[in-house]
Amino acid sequence: MALLTVDGLTVKFGDFTAIDSVGFHIDAGETVAVVGESGSGKSVTALSIMRLVQLGTRGRITSGSIEFRMPDGARLDLVGQGEKVMRDIRGNHISMIFQEPLTSLNPVYPVGEQIAETLRIHEGLDKKAAMARARDMFDLVRIPEADKRIGQYPHEMSGGMRQRIMIAIALSCGPRLLIADEPTTALDVTIQAQILGLIRQLQADTGTAVMLITHDMGVVAEVADRVVVMNKSKVVEQGDVDQIFHSPADPYTQALLSAVPRLGSMAGRPEPEPFHLAGKLS
Amino acid sequence: MTDTGVAIDVTEGGAHSAFRMFCRNKAAVVGAVIFSGIVFMTVVGPSLYANTAKEMVARPFLGPGEDGAPLFGTDYLGRDILAGVISGGRTTLLVALVAAFMSITIGLLIGSVAGYYGRWVDAALMRLTELFQTLPTLLFAMVMVTMLEPSPRTIALAIGIVSWPAAARLSRAEFLRLRELEFVKAARSLGAGDLRIMLRTILPNAMPPLLVATTLTVGIAILFEAGLAFLGLGDTSSISWGSTIGNNRGYILEAWWTVTFPGLTIFLTVLSISLIGDGLQDAFNPKLRGR
Repeated sequence: MALLTVDGLTVKFGDFTAIDSVGFHIDAGETVAVVGESGSGKSVTALSIMRLVQLGTRGRITSGSIEFRMPDGARLDLVGQGEKVMRDIRGNHISMIFQEPLTSLNPVYPVGEQIAETLRIHEGLDKKAAMARARDMFDLVRIPEADKRIGQYPHEMSGGMRQRIMIAIALSCGPRLLIADEPTTALDVTIQAQILGLIRQLQADTGTAVMLITHDMGVVAEVADRVVVMNKSKVVEQGDVDQIFHSPADPYTQALLSAVPRLGSMAGRPEPEPFHLAGKLS
Repeated sequence: MTDTGVAIDVTEGGAHSAFRMFCRNKAAVVGAVIFSGIVFMTVVGPSLYANTAKEMVARPFLGPGEDGAPLFGTDYLGRDILAGVISGGRTTLLVALVAAFMSITIGLLIGSVAGYYGRWVDAALMRLTELFQTLPTLLFAMVMVTMLEPSPRTIALAIGIVSWPAAARLSRAEFLRLRELEFVKAARSLGAGDLRIMLRTILPNAMPPLLVATTLTVGIAILFEAGLAFLGLGDTSSISWGSTIGNNRGYILEAWWTVTFPGLTIFLTVLSISLIGDGLQDAFNPKLRGR
């Protein structure tokens, strides 16, 4: 049974249609990758699920539904829920981590306090109990020397460490869905692998479903169960990761996959290959 | 280590390193020493110093160093200038602190709501702020003080009401800048409400410039109070630094000491407050810690 079902979701910024009749579902415990180029509507989809799309960019959900299954089995259409209900869902049932671990943490609080803050919002823990749980989260996301690091400020940590803290914050209340918006784009390749490995490991441990937004097909192949391909505000194709990689039906998906360099394709060439720009530049 | 220990270490470490950063700014320490000296003088001074500000102690217009003159000389009525400086500080500082507190409170309230909510809320509140900004401040304060009877309370109220727009615009700018940042979005995605985001997420990040503005506002309020008292709009029954200068302004050429010493005291006080503001800015910036 689906944990999250998005159906016919349309979001407009003024007259511009940012996403157009987007539909997909996420089952409990699985990883669904949403891929597509910049501006294809991936992040807008994620923010719409969190009902945060109206902020800053001032988008409006004009039609469609976002059904989320609550722990008690009740199905809740997130479109049209009030701010009070959404506040209880955000961070508690659905969490989100962002692309920029360098700026997603509040610079004036030690990281331990920031993990504790979420627990205090949703579980009403006192400061002492929340800090104890925050300490446990350090172990969960495999940060060594927790007793020392819990009191450090974000600027004292590396990018990879900060993204681990973000993951710890996002998972602290045991959400059933984690939305990761390009969680590894700002990190270098070895750290990317570590963070992806961590997300996969935590998913196995906690049974959290993950909606992974990325434009990196390598990341998709690594962690996803199913893939949703978006282009120009629409879902063009979706299916199991094997099917998408072996027999992509949509021309855009084929183009996306052919853009991934293959091992050995550069054999015999002494110099790096320049970009071939497909199609005409208008 | 127990978990309690961790939590306590965190808070103590924060306050401790803020203090250390403050002390690293030598000018700020000098400012703090001068300012505490002045506060000590105005609080304890009147009970230690023999002469009171309102009594005649010697011949009028005795300059400092003349026979039988007190340290700072005497004014046109033979009152001790030093006694005036010592006890006048009470009125001046109290009025300035209350006025600065009012100014920042009103400014922060209006500016933060305007900057955070934006749109028509912002437009309405900023028009209100501009309305107050276009008023000639000293004139408006004078009218207010004259209409209500002059007392330390009404003077503080008048200064607070004319000086909040600067604080409001600064707070608005900070909230406008900070609310777009990633960590504010992250806080919201974790289920924080408007009030929590404003108070816990944005406000601490806006503190350094606001603290500096607060200290500067205290300085401005001192000057304002002195200005009003100089123009004769102060509380006539109490002596302040400004009123001492104002009362003696007719004799500025014959008896320079009557205005110079209270003037120097005002100058030193405002200067030391600015230096403290500078040091606070260093102290509350966690990025400078540990360097």
